[in-house]
Amino acid sequence: MASCPLSLLSAGTTGKITGVHAGEGLRRRLYALGLIPEATVTVVTRDRGSIIVSVCGCRYALSRGMAMKVIIAPEVAAR
Amino acid sequence: MKKTISVALTGNPNVGKTTVFNTITGSRQHVGNWPGVTVEKKTGRCEYADTSIEVTDLPGTYSLTAYSADEVIARNFIIEDNPDVVVQVVDASNLERNLYLTMQLAELGRPVIVALNMVDVAEGRGDTIDEKRLSELLAMPVVRTVGTSGRGLDRLLETIIAVAAKGEKHTHTIGYGDEAEALISDLVRILDDDPALAGGYPLRWLAVRAIEGDSAVLALIEKSSVAGAVQARLQQIDLDEYEALLADKRYEAIGAILPQACTMCVRKMTGSDMIDRVVTNKYLGIPIFLALMWGAFQLTFAVAEPFMAGIEYVFGWLGEVVAGSIGNEWLASLLGDGVIGGVGGVFVFVPNIFILFLILSILEGSGYLARAAFIMDRLMYVIGLPGKSFIPMLMGFGCNVPAIMSTRTIEDDRDRLITILVNPFISCGARLPVYILFAGVFFGRDAGNVIFGLYALGIVVAILSAKLFRCTILPGESSPFIMEMPPYRIPTIKNAMLNMWEKGSMYLKKAGGIILIGSLIVWFLASYPAGVEYGSEESFAGMIGHLLEPLVSPLGLDWKIAVALIFGFVAKEIVVSSLGVLYGADEGSAALSDALLADPALSMAGALAVMVFVLLYMPCVATLGVIKKETGSWRWAGFSVLYGLVVAWILAFATFHLASYFLGGA
Ligand SMILES: Nc1nc2c(ncn2[C@@H]2O[C@H](COP(=O)(O)OP(=O)(O)OP(=O)(O)O)[C@@H](O)[C@H]2O)c(=O)[nH]1
Ligand SMILES: [Mg+2]
Repeated sequence: MASCPLSLLSAGTTGKITGVHAGEGLRRRLYALGLIPEATVTVVTRDRGSIIVSVCGCRYALSRGMAMKVIIAPEVAAR
Repeated sequence: MKKTISVALTGNPNVGKTTVFNTITGSRQHVGNWPGVTVEKKTGRCEYADTSIEVTDLPGTYSLTAYSADEVIARNFIIEDNPDVVVQVVDASNLERNLYLTMQLAELGRPVIVALNMVDVAEGRGDTIDEKRLSELLAMPVVRTVGTSGRGLDRLLETIIAVAAKGEKHTHTIGYGDEAEALISDLVRILDDDPALAGGYPLRWLAVRAIEGDSAVLALIEKSSVAGAVQARLQQIDLDEYEALLADKRYEAIGAILPQACTMCVRKMTGSDMIDRVVTNKYLGIPIFLALMWGAFQLTFAVAEPFMAGIEYVFGWLGEVVAGSIGNEWLASLLGDGVIGGVGGVFVFVPNIFILFLILSILEGSGYLARAAFIMDRLMYVIGLPGKSFIPMLMGFGCNVPAIMSTRTIEDDRDRLITILVNPFISCGARLPVYILFAGVFFGRDAGNVIFGLYALGIVVAILSAKLFRCTILPGESSPFIMEMPPYRIPTIKNAMLNMWEKGSMYLKKAGGIILIGSLIVWFLASYPAGVEYGSEESFAGMIGHLLEPLVSPLGLDWKIAVALIFGFVAKEIVVSSLGVLYGADEGSAALSDALLADPALSMAGALAVMVFVLLYMPCVATLGVIKKETGSWRWAGFSVLYGLVVAWILAFATFHLASYFLGGA
């Protein structure tokens, strides 16, 4: 499946980060939080683009604007 | 002489730094289960085995590249204040991300100790961490601790003392791969030419930070004699690519360490995720939030009720004793009207305040507070603020001062400024006595609904004001935000009690201090000039009140309220104590409530107007001080006073006239 912004994924989806389109300050922050390319993320809940994700054991809430900046290659659902 | 060692406690947010700090220094700093509780450095002392250890608790930080105001404080302390030992408190149940900061700290060349905190959580989940192996791999001492129970903290102190005695700098750092290492060694060579830089900082660290675009380090280099050479070298490369590379290598190093030192070591929050699916659900989130608020609110009153009645009874009895037994009329009035009438009036509400703080503390300890920010994000987006701004609003229900401080975690300056400016509209604990008094007297069984309405009005005014500021003086979009959601925890009784006591006792101290003084001043104004009838229109208080009457009479209020409002600027409870003093003259009426009810100048509509006015009219002195401090100028502090007064007057005016129309009888 093609890459898309994190904010478009629905709850329960898992995928790999392929890119982070943010200014350098923000990108550095995201890296420190473990949101780096190749990291696996799972969407816990989604509310109109705002999202809670699980990344390497941590849960983060991302506002819609933030979730638009993180590009994901979703894995095809297991079921 | 005793040796003194300085120690900095650093680490990611919400890993238990303050919990550890409180236990080893015996302090009572605020602890809560959400990231960003501590926003100011705090120092405490601890004596252990002939050594005096000066411990500094720092705000949490995810990396040494500071991103928000609180992180700048943490980072500057570690880099500029040169603590003898740096202790990184680490969440053992979530090692991967925590070790990212460890990798950066290692480059600083300071002695670093890792405190593996929350090992109880990790063990409970069945993780096994081999701290000896971890210590070898990191080349740092590693100590297992449990901040909440104090387990392992003696070992931590012993390790701190041993490490400080050795005084060895940490030298083991990770490699970043050939390409990056070539760049780093080039930069080190260039930087080495400036003796000032070479003497003060580890050059490898400076080089790495320069590549990562750390603005503070770049500024340092800018001022040095090698600025040009460094710039020239950095211009040859694609910095973005290198930055990602460095981050990647750090995670790679962590990935190599972890499997050797522990099994699992990835936080599983299945329970928390399940709660989150319900609590942050698109449809259920807001109803659940409102239901929780409503429940908390009802509890504040239901539980406090019997205690209040008890306290009221005691002060009533005291008043009678004073009136009956003290012969000197002047002294009897001072004690009876001034002290008991004033302070007693405020004291009655101590149970409400304590329960309010207890509930807020439980809310904080559970981990729900961070979820509220997510749930409200949609609403906040509409008004142009990040969801994160909702946390200071909720904190404001306790007290606006720490609430305004907590805005330091908001990265964008305008977002932060707006969040600060609207915070005084959130009804703090000090305003509660005013509502309980007036609503209780004039609305009887509907008092609860009236008070809930006032809280809601506060939030609505805050939100509309934010929108107004966004559209006018502080234009912009809400900046995107990311916030860690802590695992849900059962709040510890110790913490809940401690938080309640710390905040509640501040209210008690206020009652004994500034409110007592305020009451005495009002008593003086009501008693003099000599010869006037106490609390009459001829007294000083009466004169001041009449001067202001034209301003408040359109709101359906008379001079007594005007006097109380003036003094309420110092602390809002003083509105109640001042009225207690001013109405003290009515012999026979035991409580202030009866006196208010008997006053023909006050109506239901007038009571509503008073409450609305007190809710909105201006930040108290302490809040004003903190607005000045956090915005860095009196301009914004002054603005918030003027804006508050105008909004309060208009809304109180509207309330009075609408209420007179609907409730009848002005
Ligand atoms: N189970 C367990 N919980 C802990 C331990 N240490 C701290 N906590 C809890 O973790 C939460 C965070 O604790 P704090 O001490 O406020 O964390 P902090 O690192 O100071 O957080 P910030 O100031 O926000 O950076 C609180 O709910 C504590 O009760 C521990 O060893 N075990
Ligand atoms: Mg703290």
